[in-house]
Amino acid sequence: MTVEVMVGRRRSRFVAIFLYTLRSCIPPKRWAAVLMPCAGALLFGLLARAVDDTRDVAFANVAAEGILSLMMPIAALIIGDAVLGAEVRGGTFHFTWLSPAPTWQIVLGRWLGGALVALVTIAPASAVAAVIAGSSSSAGPAFVAAAVGSVTYVALFIAIGCITQRTAVWSLAIVFLVERLLGAALTGIAQISPTWESRATFVGLLDDPPSRLVRNGIPQGWDAVIRLAIVTAVSLAIANWRLRHIKLSGASD
Amino acid sequence: MSFAPPDPSAAIRLANDPAFAADATVAVADVSVWFGPKVALSELSCSFGPGVTGLLGPNGAGKTTLMRAITGLVGVNQGNVRVDGRDPRRDRRVHDTMALVPEDEAVPPGLSARRFVEYVADLHGVRARNAPDEALRTVDLLDVADRRVDAFSKGMRQRCKIAAALVSDPRVLVLDEPLNGADPVQRVQLIALFKRLGAEGRTVIVSSHVLNEVERLAQRVIVLIHGRLAAAGGHHAIRDAMDDRPRHVFVRADDGRSLAALLVALESVAGVTFDVARGGLVVQTGQARELATALPGLARDSSIRLLEVRALDDSLESLFRELVR
Repeated sequence: MTVEVMVGRRRSRFVAIFLYTLRSCIPPKRWAAVLMPCAGALLFGLLARAVDDTRDVAFANVAAEGILSLMMPIAALIIGDAVLGAEVRGGTFHFTWLSPAPTWQIVLGRWLGGALVALVTIAPASAVAAVIAGSSSSAGPAFVAAAVGSVTYVALFIAIGCITQRTAVWSLAIVFLVERLLGAALTGIAQISPTWESRATFVGLLDDPPSRLVRNGIPQGWDAVIRLAIVTAVSLAIANWRLRHIKLSGASD
Repeated sequence: MSFAPPDPSAAIRLANDPAFAADATVAVADVSVWFGPKVALSELSCSFGPGVTGLLGPNGAGKTTLMRAITGLVGVNQGNVRVDGRDPRRDRRVHDTMALVPEDEAVPPGLSARRFVEYVADLHGVRARNAPDEALRTVDLLDVADRRVDAFSKGMRQRCKIAAALVSDPRVLVLDEPLNGADPVQRVQLIALFKRLGAEGRTVIVSSHVLNEVERLAQRVIVLIHGRLAAAGGHHAIRDAMDDRPRHVFVRADDGRSLAALLVALESVAGVTFDVARGGLVVQTGQARELATALPGLARDSSIRLLEVRALDDSLESLFRELVR
């Protein structure tokens, strides 16, 4: 057999992983599942209009309690699970793992793919919700808070997907039991919680935030963004370490 | 790189042991793997070299676990696995030269066959731009390369995974039940392909629970049962072990009583019993080949019409039971 070999530059491993994440990890059903909580964010925007308060205060309360504490973690969980945990469970991740690609490239490529999806869905939905609520001045802070919060969550859920196959159960337990319940009482947990820190980002960036939403003892505004960046980096480092030692069984196991 | 035993006496022992290949690229030394209370592999030692080696065993024998240990998908609890002298769990460079075709039907959703193979090619840093198409052509999938791989039939998925494995031109190819779902024509083509890959000097490890399949594929066979090495060697040795063991053959004829009387007189027959439920005879023999030769003539000479002849225990499990007795 004579084969004419055309030698040329193919995509780099990193770019291939990133594109694969967008093409294969988030199929149409996952997109629909991500868009549902985003639609929920828009409904929260409508709900804010019904609150008997100034538009800005009403939206700030709805954004802190509904959009950033409920909608954002759920949508980010759907994305974060899709880009790695679902593949590990489904038995298709070993096509990626059984390659000479360094594990950090796999983790970073998957996270970037998931982060991009979060940035084009969760963050705009949060900003549009502010506009719907009639608080256009809150749209910027809501966008930034949802963007950094969701990409942090994607990193966290990727790490959880590398540690356990029950990604959804553990992720929900961490969000609602550890962050919401313990984080409400313990400042130490709130300081590393994507929910509390994204709330603090949002509140810190508002011109005149409602005093009840300001939580003392945790960074606010851009300082909270830096804190979330650190949480993201640590989550990705844990994911990278775990990925080197992961046991991959088949879908049938 | 060859698997080098630590001392000369071990070298002599390994050279005479059919479980070890002369020029090993994959070495499995005293490997045990367990999942909780379940022991999947128990103190298994063997090696694989260039050419096709069949990994034979009934379901649950540990074939898939061994293949996953070789490729580094699972770690070993005891012992070690080396591929070209490297630990596949720790050294990711191993994957430059090794590929696995998993048994699972799972394939990445939403990708065409071409994109899937291109993805694997990119991960392996394959520079030849036409390598994905060549790999798809090799498994006869080029015509459907733009169809979604998750919409393929089982056999087509399997071939697509083989294309993905071949695209990086691996020196070590690990194939877990690769003929599952393939139609007879595809089977013949895939068997020819695997033999060609083995003849090119690659280490090809193929698992199956069908002896005839492995016989057509591999010069060397390693038999596993309950996670242990049950037998190793050429397929003739395995087949001889199968032929020489006592067997039960079910025979249904229009005059069973007369046939039974004739059969008990044969030297190759150890006993005959009537199976009322199935309406036939169960013949016990230690010389299956002789019985198979004698039976048609015996029936013809006595004007007895044979309606059904089949081995009752011609399964791999019965062979394995025999091998480990």
